[in-house]
Amino acid sequence: MAIDLTTIHKVLIIGAGPTNIGHETELDDATVQTLTVLKKMGIQVLLIDNNPFSVALEETQPSNRFIQPVTTDNVQHIIEREQPEALIPSLGGILAIRITQELLENGVLADNQVQLLGMPKTTLNQINNPTLMNETLTRLNEPHIETEVVSTSDDALTIGMQIGYPLIVKPIASHYDANRVICDSPEDLYEAVQLGFSQSRFHQCSLEKSIVGYKEVEMVAVRDSANTRVLIDSIENVDSIGIHSGDSILVSPAQTLTDREYQRLRDATFKIAQALNIEGALHVQFALEPQVENYFITKISPYNNRGMALAARTTGYPVALVAANLIMGVTLPDIKLPQNYAKQTALMEPTPDHIVVRLPLWPFQDVPDADEHLDTVMKSVGGTVGVGRSLEEAILKGVRSSQFSPRDVLPSVSGIDDNELISQLIHPLANRVLVLIEALRRGYSVDELAEITRVDGFYFYKLKHLLEIEKRIQDHPMDLETLNVARYYGFGDGMIAGMWNVETEAVRQLAVEGGMHPTYKMIEPTAGEFDEHTTSFYSTFEYENESERLGSETVLVLGRGGNQLGPNTAADYFTTEMLKQLKRSGYRTIMVNTNPNSLSMVPEFSDKQYLDPIQLGDVLNIIDLEQPKMVIVPGNRHFLTRELKKRMTNIHVLPPDQETGLVKPSEVDVSVALFVTDHQVIPVGVIDMLTPGDQHGTAHVTVLRLPAQTQGADDHLVSLAQAMARTHHLRGMVQVLFKKTAEGFEAVGIRPTRLTEIAFLSKATGINWVRMLTRLHVGSINEKELARIKVNLHPDRIALMAGEFPFRQLRTINRPGTSAQEAGAALIFGSADRLGQDILADADAFKSLMNPTI
Amino acid sequence: MAERYLILEDGSSYRGEGFGAEATTTGELIYNTNLTGYQEVVTNQIYHNQIIIFSQPSIGNTGISHDAYESILPTAKGMVVRDVTNFSVDRSRRLTLDTYLKQHNIPGISGIDTRHLIRKLRDAGPMNGSIVAVDDAHAFDQLHATVLTNRQVAAVATPKPYPNPGTGYNVVVIDFGLKNGLLRQLSERRCNVTVVPWDTTAENILNLDPDGVILSSGPGSPMDLPQSVLEMIQVVEERIPLFAIGLGHELFGLANGANVVPLDAEYHGSSHPIRRIITNDIVFASQGQGYAVEAKSINRERLITTYVDLINGTVQGLRHRDFPAFSVQFFPDGGPGPDDNRDLFDEFMEIMGSREG
Repeated sequence: MAIDLTTIHKVLIIGAGPTNIGHETELDDATVQTLTVLKKMGIQVLLIDNNPFSVALEETQPSNRFIQPVTTDNVQHIIEREQPEALIPSLGGILAIRITQELLENGVLADNQVQLLGMPKTTLNQINNPTLMNETLTRLNEPHIETEVVSTSDDALTIGMQIGYPLIVKPIASHYDANRVICDSPEDLYEAVQLGFSQSRFHQCSLEKSIVGYKEVEMVAVRDSANTRVLIDSIENVDSIGIHSGDSILVSPAQTLTDREYQRLRDATFKIAQALNIEGALHVQFALEPQVENYFITKISPYNNRGMALAARTTGYPVALVAANLIMGVTLPDIKLPQNYAKQTALMEPTPDHIVVRLPLWPFQDVPDADEHLDTVMKSVGGTVGVGRSLEEAILKGVRSSQFSPRDVLPSVSGIDDNELISQLIHPLANRVLVLIEALRRGYSVDELAEITRVDGFYFYKLKHLLEIEKRIQDHPMDLETLNVARYYGFGDGMIAGMWNVETEAVRQLAVEGGMHPTYKMIEPTAGEFDEHTTSFYSTFEYENESERLGSETVLVLGRGGNQLGPNTAADYFTTEMLKQLKRSGYRTIMVNTNPNSLSMVPEFSDKQYLDPIQLGDVLNIIDLEQPKMVIVPGNRHFLTRELKKRMTNIHVLPPDQETGLVKPSEVDVSVALFVTDHQVIPVGVIDMLTPGDQHGTAHVTVLRLPAQTQGADDHLVSLAQAMARTHHLRGMVQVLFKKTAEGFEAVGIRPTRLTEIAFLSKATGINWVRMLTRLHVGSINEKELARIKVNLHPDRIALMAGEFPFRQLRTINRPGTSAQEAGAALIFGSADRLGQDILADADAFKSLMNPTI
Repeated sequence: MAERYLILEDGSSYRGEGFGAEATTTGELIYNTNLTGYQEVVTNQIYHNQIIIFSQPSIGNTGISHDAYESILPTAKGMVVRDVTNFSVDRSRRLTLDTYLKQHNIPGISGIDTRHLIRKLRDAGPMNGSIVAVDDAHAFDQLHATVLTNRQVAAVATPKPYPNPGTGYNVVVIDFGLKNGLLRQLSERRCNVTVVPWDTTAENILNLDPDGVILSSGPGSPMDLPQSVLEMIQVVEERIPLFAIGLGHELFGLANGANVVPLDAEYHGSSHPIRRIITNDIVFASQGQGYAVEAKSINRERLITTYVDLINGTVQGLRHRDFPAFSVQFFPDGGPGPDDNRDLFDEFMEIMGSREG
């Protein structure tokens, strides 16, 4: 597919749409990095996306930005009007892949002479059609699971008998990722194909042999147009096949492969990359049959996904930057990476000298009616990682990052009885890792557990070691040597303090007196062979520390950890925009986060990154080293904020705490957003706070409209709101809430503006309010300049944002959700005619307005 | 486990925990950056005299596999790791790394900041070290006084010829400390192999009537071997197709007039891109070398450079202009490491085949 790059000046990127289960910020993360590369090449980049929390949209010039639902029709219109010479299908997840396929089939790409970048059309066809893909794999002599396609239930039952149970049903060309159902009986099969047909674009399902219980391993590689291939990373799923890889505990690089196994998977990955003519990054999933050296290829993804994001975080290899170059035809030896990388880093196979463990995060607290059993349909909404120099350390740091326990303790599931324990070992629930530990505590042997759970015995061996250390900690309170061992294997100061029944401070004091300091290691791809200068670090307790204080004018920014339901992807957007502003205000920034998909951890946005638990002990260690001028703590971390404020003065809470409203009104109809300083109260917008369905109450406000359709009352509301804000202490982005009564509007509350709303207001008004808020906090705002800001409170164009919910994937009743259940949101703009009406009257019409299916 | 120390020539000492044999050991410290294959590494005879530092922090995770040995009697001087796992699921014996090292009297030390050591050796250059029970002055005196043998090939190579029968080409392997991987590749291609000692004369080799001759890899410096080896190569290469690997490649270079020089830092890993010059593509290989054929010393009338390491610029392959003889510095059999270069064995089969007819 020789593309003459000199003919390409304008490229269209298809965005991923609202975040949801299966795709979160990692797609935006890769898109942002791709934009950076393409802009440097002088290429005009068009981007279509309707994700209001997209940083990539923020980075795209307004004239190149298309805030529209990501649909085939909309992409077609952009192609016809803008005439881009090429299109990148690999950045918008499976949605962009499907849309590109439709544009290929309906001739739009050919008619408009749009070239496909990163993969040829034949490859696109194969990704979208398992039969074609299997033909390719057969030709390559690569083992795979034979798939039969059926379009009627009768066929399904006949073929089901031939394959034998258990078998797996998957809709063909589904609108959603990974809808796989395991069937143990003809009854299951009948039900599964009925559902599958309805989800398939072709009313077809595939049936295949079940490989439940096999070990799942993922490989990430890059390939250039000269067929040079580099293996970036291997990822091992601790849970075997049967649990979706997004829901499994992941270990990177893989730890239980022999060299023979590893090389065979590497060979297969390269063979596929070559056969599919990938120019960019490739992610391949394998199932390894236990005991025998057999493997099957289970999934091939030549598009950005969370596996690639994890590989980049693990190895320090800039996967997205390299892939962007490869997509544009630059070969691996010619890629120019930022100068902090050693020469030819893009061409070297990364060899990490640490272990990364990723633990999934769950929506079950917010969606209590969802079934917590883990299966082949992904349910987790995010993940956190722990990095360590032993598996024990990485697991514990991962657990400590995923529990969000303010006091950094290891929760126990000792309450469940033995029968329930066995049941949970066989049919895993969301608290998987805790149940595995509990089983060891109760005396099950490593071999027994490996047999029951299909988890490699190696992991039980390691967990058992952790329990031995835990025992040692319990038996030796306030013992320095024990503290040494405990920290070496990843126990947090808070955990240790809990077991010793002392304050965290006492543990830290013991460490200080014993001269024990954390050491920080660089995350770089060469295991120390070369003098790399990457900017990411993690803590451990060893001999050499590689992290030196960044400087005197620094800000330490604490992230929110892994993605959860609620305002979290908005928080990631907020943090990233905040980092950009801090840089502009002359600060050097240091980011701490544990979310491998987080944009805020992309080296481009901060001067230094720590991939460490956001727990008090760990944060204090970083503060001791960096001595930052200012620390920024996210609003949801009350304990941490309180503890830090005891020790430091310059603590700012950003993104703002969502809970500090003076009044919590039960119902709200309209809000007025204000930007409040000590001297001014600037109106930002009047918003309709809408509740879909027949739900009422503030929690159910999941649709926002600007400007509010108040029939002329808005100027009055603005004055009321300004007056109210002047009498309150709240500063920054403030929101006054109004309720509609028979007499008109009544002010019912005042609170910090929600994160999602700040993002919405930025997109709707064209002013970046995150940056304004950041400037207010760091004292770089100019009151005179501020006084000149006049936001048009009556724009002709209406902006509308609606929350997206995970109910469909969680297989719960589809219903209007609450703001705490949002997995993402969709944004549109339109005329008063179109969006000013009673848009919620027809639920289906509203859905297809906001986020129509392709 | 018992507390032990890794002490270095520069006077530094690191406390860790012992595993494997309890023996005191002294050797040259080198580091290996392969992610997988600690078993293949520790059983590779090129590590005779050497203590291996592993960059992959968790070692021993899959135990010892019955089919992944690179030699029967490993002679590495020791293993230095961050974390060791005493676990195995291999067949019924379930042999662990710890037990295996005990069986072969090789000491290991865990709990060491291996990343620090690698960064140190990268900058400071080659250094000897010892794994000891007590890091006192006596231990350092012993370390400084130790002179490592330079008769490494004689120590690890077979003293007597032995066959590995097959029905295909008749191949004579000259053993300088070969890796089992070489024999595996020849077995897969059904060769009828005779492995002969490193000091076998050209005449005795020719008397076996080989279709091809292979110079194996092995430990140490090629300059430590007598001139007679080079003379043997000069006689054989003129008459019989020749393939040389590792130490064999270095000897092949020397025999054809090139110099071999020690590297500033030994390289053991498989992350370097290597350019295959004839096809202009890039491959990865299992590399393990302390020496390299000096590029500028190559007599272009006689030898062509076929592979180059794109990171450190070292010559990774040579081919004779006049004879069917070629060599590679890296291990084309992998073990551990990529399979990218298995085709070199096929090429050797073809060369032997083309001479038959």
